[in-house]
Amino acid sequence: MADTRQIKKPKKKTGQKKTDQQEQAAPLSKEKEKKLKELDNYIEGVLEEAGEDFLDQFKQIEGE
Amino acid sequence: MSIPKVVGIEQEYAIQLKGDPALSAFEASCMLVNAYAARIGLRKEGMRILWDYAHETPYEDIRGRLFRKSPTQQVVHDEDNLRINAGLPNGARFYTDHAHPEYSTAECLGARQAVACDKAGEIVLRQAVSDLKALCPQVDVSLYKNNSDHKGHSYGCHENYLMDAQAHEDRLIRDPEAAARTLMPFLVTRQVFAGAGKVGGEAPHSQSASYQVSQRADFMENLYGLETMYARPIINTRAEHHADADRFRRLHLILGDANMCETAAFVKIGATQIVLQMFEDGFIDEDWRLKEPVNALQRISIQHDVAVALEDGHRLTALQIQRLFLEKAEAFKSSAGAAAIPDYQEILTRWAELLDGLERLKLSADFDIEDDPGNLAQKVDWVLKLWLLNRYRNARDGSWDHPLLRVLDLHYHRVDNLEGLFYKLQRDGMTQRVCTDARIGHFVDHPPDDTRAYFRGHCLQKYAKEMFLLNWEVVGFDHGEVHRMVPLLNPLKGTRKQFEDIFTAAGDSRELIARLQAE
Repeated sequence: MADTRQIKKPKKKTGQKKTDQQEQAAPLSKEKEKKLKELDNYIEGVLEEAGEDFLDQFKQIEGE
Repeated sequence: MSIPKVVGIEQEYAIQLKGDPALSAFEASCMLVNAYAARIGLRKEGMRILWDYAHETPYEDIRGRLFRKSPTQQVVHDEDNLRINAGLPNGARFYTDHAHPEYSTAECLGARQAVACDKAGEIVLRQAVSDLKALCPQVDVSLYKNNSDHKGHSYGCHENYLMDAQAHEDRLIRDPEAAARTLMPFLVTRQVFAGAGKVGGEAPHSQSASYQVSQRADFMENLYGLETMYARPIINTRAEHHADADRFRRLHLILGDANMCETAAFVKIGATQIVLQMFEDGFIDEDWRLKEPVNALQRISIQHDVAVALEDGHRLTALQIQRLFLEKAEAFKSSAGAAAIPDYQEILTRWAELLDGLERLKLSADFDIEDDPGNLAQKVDWVLKLWLLNRYRNARDGSWDHPLLRVLDLHYHRVDNLEGLFYKLQRDGMTQRVCTDARIGHFVDHPPDDTRAYFRGHCLQKYAKEMFLLNWEVVGFDHGEVHRMVPLLNPLKGTRKQFEDIFTAAGDSRELIARLQAE
């Protein structure tokens, strides 16, 4: 996972270009790329299942 | 002289209900407790094992009568007691605390064992959810092992460590400055590897925070105190030691976060055991008093590498302070006190690895992880969660205001191992383990061998039908004409080594007691 983190995704808000250093970082293996894609899909699934009102409904009583 | 640092973890779980609007969190928590108790045979007809509240003194303060609260002790009727509580054959207690299901592990001798028992608690809770679903298909319960609902409500992950009574008296009560010089700076700064991470802030000082190291820091207001639900202290001073108080005391810590990462939990517990042992033995004579400990706790949570002021005028980061403690722990390792801590060298090694990793961790001002050569994202919750959140955030507009980030934060802590995000990462091999699944599974059904939990657990395994009450320090049998109580006042006695043969030989609790008396 550490390897994957060395390539930062550019942020849409800044339109930042990848630096030379980032360009030189080792490319993701196909397997890792697949795993990360699967993770992204999983996250989407979790959010979809949770629903839009999840946060509003997640109310806890004060604990110790 | 210090004694082994027996440890127990108390985790309050967040509970989310769907399907029955009339069902309260309290009722659902009780249903979970009873569904699990029924699964393991503790709710058979005629079986009524109460939790004995006689030794609970939440209004008494270790600092004396001036600090005690006015007792408004409520009598818990037997039916409610049974509804709320289940003492388990693995030595743990599963119960309803306010409106949360809570799991208190058995007493453990070492950090690895404590992590495994805490993780076993997650399995127990998962099974309880599954059992409840089978009983009431219309009720949908989800549990979360975290400490905040992101709306300003917090619930705890408390740690309890055994202390020698004299050392507790001398160094915590009579000379609280001794704790301020040593123990407090360690506790305030350990969040850099033990924090569970949180999107946003829930206190006036943290409203503008995008991301924090700690879930609990927003809710800590004092150094010492009796409170647990407001004005929370770093060290809780409840005089409730669950043992012979002339010999043993309990250090009750309520500042910690609930860990999902096994490495973070292992180092948190292990390093705390070591520092406490050094504290009891008077091995640390340096003065590392923080000028404003609570403020430092909160500032470090907002910025992990901020320098905080010491009383002597120096300014150090949490990492630098942790390195001072690690250095002392290295020097302590050949002492008798160190020998009493299981896995001492491994704790030191992993503690050092985390601190080295933090030294080299590079975050941008907007919390992007620019470099993590120490692979902290496999070991430390706040870094792993940050990596996950950044993946989602940076694929969109990069904003920390996106409400779904909080949803992801909560789902990181979901206990369901097929739905929770932490467990997805663990399944994918993206986390470092310190316990095997087999060891964790063992502690679902069995108590640790080397504390009094062994005795309590085996009484429940063999003689549950003859028991009528229990708590941490007593097991009670109903022998018809008389109630026989077996006190467990020494957490270090009642071990497998001492009692395995007796349990094997004794067919019932009368025989057990006869054999104990003959010893």
